[in-house]
Amino acid sequence: MAHPRRTLSVLAAALAFTLAAFAVRVGTQAPDFTGTDSHGQSHTLSQYHGQYVVLEWTNNGCPFTRKHYESGNMQALQKKWTSRGVIWLTILSSAPGQQGYMTASDQNAYMAREHADPTAAILDPTGAIGHLYDAKTTPDMVVIDPSGKIIYEGAIDDHATTDPADIPHSKNYVNEALDEAMAGQPVAVAYTRSYGCSVKYSGAE
Amino acid sequence: MPLRFRTLALLAALSATLCAASAVAQSDPQASASAQHLTVSLLVPPHDLYPGQSFAAGLDFKLEQGWHVYWTNAGDSGEPPTIDWKLPAGITAGPMQFPAPTRLPLGPLMDFGYENEVVFPIPMQVAPDTHSAHGPANLAAHVGWLVCREVCIPGKADLSLTRTLLSAAPAAPSVDAAGQSLIAQFQAKLPQPLPASDSAAFSTTPQGFILDVRTNSSPSSAQFFPLDQTVVANAAPQPAHSISGGVQLALTKDENIQGTPHQLNGVLELPTGAAYIIHATPGATTSAPPLSPSEEGGIVGAAALAFLGGILLNLMPCVFPVLFIKGLALVQSSQQERHRLRAHGWVYTLGILVSFWVVVAVLLGLRAAGRQLGWGFQFQSPVFLALMAMLLFFLGLALAGQFEIGLSLTSAGGSLAQKHGYAGSFFTGVLAMVVATPCTAPFMGAAIGYALSHSAWVSFVVFTALALGLAIPYLLLAYFPGWSRVLPKPGAWMEILKQAVSVPIFATVIWLVWVYLRVAGTGLALIGLLAAFLLLAIAGWFLGRWPARIGPGIVATVFILGAVALPVSIIRAMPPPHVETAVVFRNGSNVQIGAPAPGAWQPFTPTALDQARAHGHAVFVDFTASWCLSCQVNERLILDRADVEQKLHDSGVTLLRADWTNQDPDITRALAALGRSGVPTYAIYPADPSAPPQVLPAVLTPGIVLNALNSLPKPDRQSAALARPISQ
Repeated sequence: MAHPRRTLSVLAAALAFTLAAFAVRVGTQAPDFTGTDSHGQSHTLSQYHGQYVVLEWTNNGCPFTRKHYESGNMQALQKKWTSRGVIWLTILSSAPGQQGYMTASDQNAYMAREHADPTAAILDPTGAIGHLYDAKTTPDMVVIDPSGKIIYEGAIDDHATTDPADIPHSKNYVNEALDEAMAGQPVAVAYTRSYGCSVKYSGAE
Repeated sequence: MPLRFRTLALLAALSATLCAASAVAQSDPQASASAQHLTVSLLVPPHDLYPGQSFAAGLDFKLEQGWHVYWTNAGDSGEPPTIDWKLPAGITAGPMQFPAPTRLPLGPLMDFGYENEVVFPIPMQVAPDTHSAHGPANLAAHVGWLVCREVCIPGKADLSLTRTLLSAAPAAPSVDAAGQSLIAQFQAKLPQPLPASDSAAFSTTPQGFILDVRTNSSPSSAQFFPLDQTVVANAAPQPAHSISGGVQLALTKDENIQGTPHQLNGVLELPTGAAYIIHATPGATTSAPPLSPSEEGGIVGAAALAFLGGILLNLMPCVFPVLFIKGLALVQSSQQERHRLRAHGWVYTLGILVSFWVVVAVLLGLRAAGRQLGWGFQFQSPVFLALMAMLLFFLGLALAGQFEIGLSLTSAGGSLAQKHGYAGSFFTGVLAMVVATPCTAPFMGAAIGYALSHSAWVSFVVFTALALGLAIPYLLLAYFPGWSRVLPKPGAWMEILKQAVSVPIFATVIWLVWVYLRVAGTGLALIGLLAAFLLLAIAGWFLGRWPARIGPGIVATVFILGAVALPVSIIRAMPPPHVETAVVFRNGSNVQIGAPAPGAWQPFTPTALDQARAHGHAVFVDFTASWCLSCQVNERLILDRADVEQKLHDSGVTLLRADWTNQDPDITRALAALGRSGVPTYAIYPADPSAPPQVLPAVLTPGIVLNALNSLPKPDRQSAALARPISQ
């Protein structure tokens, strides 16, 4: 087992090595993508040029994601920012059979039950959008400004735990980035290590 | 559960206070807790505590197979365990210490952590002035963790145990020896500070960092685990090589890092298992060759294999038509002057090189985009197959004499302009490469597997060697016109030869259409392709009937464009080939639906492989594809041979067929795990899941298969008992 495991890890490492060369970098143009949401609607990032866009990677089975949904924190963020004209795209990159994979109707039922309010929940079972953005964990947050530039990438807040009790005294990086950018200021914390469960891509062990 | 533990702990504390003597239990049940996928225990080896004492406690995680907990820097995902002590006055606990972790790859991500079992040592102190409270001392800790495999489960437990606090050190200390030795075992794995005589420095490169660590040894490999997050790209390989008095690693930086770090902090693990805490400062690093001798040897070996493989490709059936074309071009050019011959040879070589470089660039690009592909993947694209079939069909028409191609692939006769001649040589090279790809012959498989699992420039070197190998026979002929003088003089026979060459070309077209059917399906897709052939034939007629006229030329171009557009648009309109279609195909072709007879080939899935091995069966996996000619040859001539089939049946191995005709990420991954990137590949996985699989040569003989089966370890008693009645 040791041998194939090592080979596999070498290959995975090589894969990631080349991935790194293409990784999404804060301050650069966000790569364009097209995805279909849970209502069958197609969304292309470039169609939202001129607006702030938040990308949120989710997996409703992941305890780190559940921390923010069961506490209502994520829904509150979605409502707060979509009401101010921000486009909020929740992205599901779990592969079929993996934790967090949802059919369109499952996802709609889940969002209704949790009172989630993103602009759209994009189903990405092939992981194409996730790989394009090098999304590592759920949650993983990306904030894009009206010119299409990435202004924040990383964790949702500064408490890498699964305990909802930590939320009230956490510093929410998405709020900070949007507040600062909308006030015309540079984003102070533009990149953090996102925390959570690994994104359940097809092919992840 | 936590509530019950808390109650238990409370009860224990209560009873301990009431009855001090009996509270000093040899093993306290509440000191450990079973949770999902792990058991966590608090280890406090000394039974008696006394003022001024210092000792190591431990937090022990016993994990179910496949599950892991995390290092202090968990890597791309996950979180390290936490401990929060509640200790009597005078007793203090230091921070939890983390033994050197292992790399845990997870798709494109890399985590750092521990599997099976880990003990986190914790230094404990009893203050020298703790004379006031003697008697039972309750050591309690709230422990939190995240345990992951495919999914992550957070857990927490309240652990506690009771020790006796004495007023002075006992004459004969009593300890939990098992616990103490377990802690010691993991203390030995704790990273140590770098000795004062050693040093660590790093320099910054555009890609990352070069880290030089001077130890008193010169290991040729080492692993660096970054202590800081978002500095180093966790999943990137860390090529290492020995330098004088130390080791050098090339680290890839995190893409989003701003500026240069003041320090590079991490743990360096040497092959001996020794681990050091590194706080590297910016400084001069040795500008040694970028590769260790062993890796260099690996590259030279792989490049040599690739070169040989390239030469062999000239003899492969799928390159035969191109060989004909090349031979023809050579005969035509044998009347040319020496320098022009050489120039043609080089242009042909360049054509092969450029097309291989394009492929390696595309391959790396796709790999970067997160798609794992293997060699021959282009034969999984119906559009590619249709275009190839059309190109060869059109070429066949030209060779058969329907028309003359201006930019002739059959290269320059003396009358053609020199420029056209070079273009011809160039595209002959391109064509040779394109048609050669499905022949992942013995040498190619290993070499390309090696290349694709290494960095971009290694891939580049190996593919270049492969290209040169493919080009060298023709290049040599061009350089030694003496050899080509052996070839007959040009004459009328050349026209006959040219027409004859169209026959193998049309044969290749049939093969391509067959493969196309397997990928795109029959029906509309097939009619589309055949209609495209008709349009090409009409275009060819226009070109032949009115050569070099603008009007008919335009008409022919329109027909050609129509021919290209037809199957492409049909394929585009069809749903993309999904895994489902692959399964249907697999069931339809080689595998019976329903319960397979023992000894019959079953479709490969990772689960089927694991289950068979879990049941004590060795597994023979045939990685194949319908577009792979050598696979078909091996299957028809070797695997389906009566004696081989009988042996496969009798040896009780589970037979799995991994059909890679359509793209299948599971199969691509399984191939990658074997270090291969294409088919044919034959692997025997022993029943023991920890034993490495054996990869058989790509060209099988009955002897190879029989020997491999004979060398398998004897099956366990149960399956032996099952196998015996069959073999008797």
